[in-house]
Amino acid sequence: MSALTFAGVRKTFGANVALQGFDLDLQQGELVTLLGPSGCGKTTALRIAAGFERADSGTIQVEGADISKTPPHRRNMGMVFQSYSLFPNLTVAGNVEYGLRTRGIHKAKRAERVAEILDLVQLGELGGRYAHQLSGGQQQRVALARALAVQPSVLLLDEPLSALDAKVRTTLRDEIRRIQTDVGITTLFVTHDQEEALAISDRICVMSQGNIEQLGTPTEVYRRPSTAFVARFVGTMNEFTAEVTGPGEVAVAGHRMAAPGAGDAATGSKVSLLVRPEDLSLGDGGLPGSVTSVTFQGATTLVGVRLDVLDHLVSADVGNGAADHLQVGDRVSVVVNGANAVCEAAA
Amino acid sequence: MSNRFTRWLGRLGPTLVLIAAAVFFIAPLLSSFRVAFHKVPTVLLDRHTWFQKWSFEGVRRAFNEPNFWPTLSLSLRLALITVIITMALLVPTALFVHLRLPKARALVEFFTLLPYVVPPIALVAGIAAFYRANARWFLNTDYALAPFYVVMAMPFTYRAIDAGIKAIDVRTLVDASRSLGGSWAMTLRKAILPNMATSLLSSAFLTATVVIGEFTIASTLAKNTFATFSFEYFGRDAQGGIGLALLTLLGTTGLLGILTLLTRTKSRKAMSKTSRF
Repeated sequence: MSALTFAGVRKTFGANVALQGFDLDLQQGELVTLLGPSGCGKTTALRIAAGFERADSGTIQVEGADISKTPPHRRNMGMVFQSYSLFPNLTVAGNVEYGLRTRGIHKAKRAERVAEILDLVQLGELGGRYAHQLSGGQQQRVALARALAVQPSVLLLDEPLSALDAKVRTTLRDEIRRIQTDVGITTLFVTHDQEEALAISDRICVMSQGNIEQLGTPTEVYRRPSTAFVARFVGTMNEFTAEVTGPGEVAVAGHRMAAPGAGDAATGSKVSLLVRPEDLSLGDGGLPGSVTSVTFQGATTLVGVRLDVLDHLVSADVGNGAADHLQVGDRVSVVVNGANAVCEAAA
Repeated sequence: MSNRFTRWLGRLGPTLVLIAAAVFFIAPLLSSFRVAFHKVPTVLLDRHTWFQKWSFEGVRRAFNEPNFWPTLSLSLRLALITVIITMALLVPTALFVHLRLPKARALVEFFTLLPYVVPPIALVAGIAAFYRANARWFLNTDYALAPFYVVMAMPFTYRAIDAGIKAIDVRTLVDASRSLGGSWAMTLRKAILPNMATSLLSSAFLTATVVIGEFTIASTLAKNTFATFSFEYFGRDAQGGIGLALLTLLGTTGLLGILTLLTRTKSRKAMSKTSRF
């Protein structure tokens, strides 16, 4: 049975359609990320799940039970917000204890649970501090502890890392994943940061204009984007104008290549070919161009090349061996592997 | 040298303005203080009489007036009732506007400012007409003043409450409390009001100040409040009346001092907790 289900959820704000027929199932213990640009409806979906917004139509179910009309305080969901949401008048322990008090849990048991959950987020020593005495990362960990203390049926995370600096963001991201896996709690995570989504999720739901563009594992979404929007939004893409030369075959500036993504597009039609940097390599018989940048990235090197024939810039993510001696201005040949490319009818 | 002179000139302007402002505020107070507690006519003031005949006799006479304590007691009770009604009406209203009707904020602010532009005499004529037609018995009680005072104090109190709400991320705090199982009542009691303590105190203080000093409405409705007593007493005994006015000012300033002390103590306590870790 699904832990959380959105069934045909539609929500409008005046003339703006935030969600249109939104369907999503979260399995028990799964972390699903809603990923998309601002205004795509991801936060609306989360707030509808939490009960802060009411759907115009459709239902929200938790383990099969319809909770669409249940007020937020009776939904048993834990939520962590984008902005620091700790109660400033309460200590860390007081904040974590808050949800337990609302449930009428006995004082001794509350203290035990608070200690246990603060240890889980590695803040056991800070129970007596107030929010303004904590760093941003610590505040969000307390917010996570507070949400988990009540043993919610679903954990909702609304861009909890976006207010943090890059280093803390990465650490806390891994921490959230560790805790989520340890506790085994079903989690709906909202972010506009694709790197974050790829790193943390069991499945990613890429959204655009209130619709789901693709739902799949991080690998599927990255390697096999189902639409040009997903391809462009998740990861980096190089874009070529190509001509369909046959079923599953295209030509870029006269260089023919297999591109299953072209499907059965009409021969002779123009398409945009979207290719990941790692699907470009430097070798013989490719598209000639000049190196414009060489960026060492550790395991790989990102090489920027201005192609002669198309007069545009592409990025190739190549192994260090192939880029060791490259310098800006060097002449290279870029080989395009169209196997994973996404094709879109050219405008 | 010329730079130092320019800097000195630059400081001179603001200093002169400050001195002028201080004289403007302090001189009348000092004059009132002398008149209230010094039984020497101004024309007889010299270096010999300056230190003679200082006494609290005028204020003592006022304290012994049969109407002093009853009117003071009524004004304090009215202040308390007005504060309670104001809080009960304006806190939920301000929260509702912030959470559910953010677009209506400007309109609500405009309405709360109306008592500034409507003269108290017009206000009392309008509201009294309503009471006379619908609840004459209420108009006959002393507490009939409370609704007028709620309206009179609204421009100050709403702004104080509004500033308190703006100072906290009220929407997130409400959502956080609700998601943790807090009912609306608990959310208000545990998550919102404690974080607005300073603004609520300010609001209560401003309300009390307005109530204790309000004369026009009380006089028009023939109620014996502390303000009407002070005015009437001033007509009979100018020295005692001025003494009373000074004590009232001292009382309200004392309230402000207590308020400042309370808020400072609170933040200092929080800071001292920091140093323990």
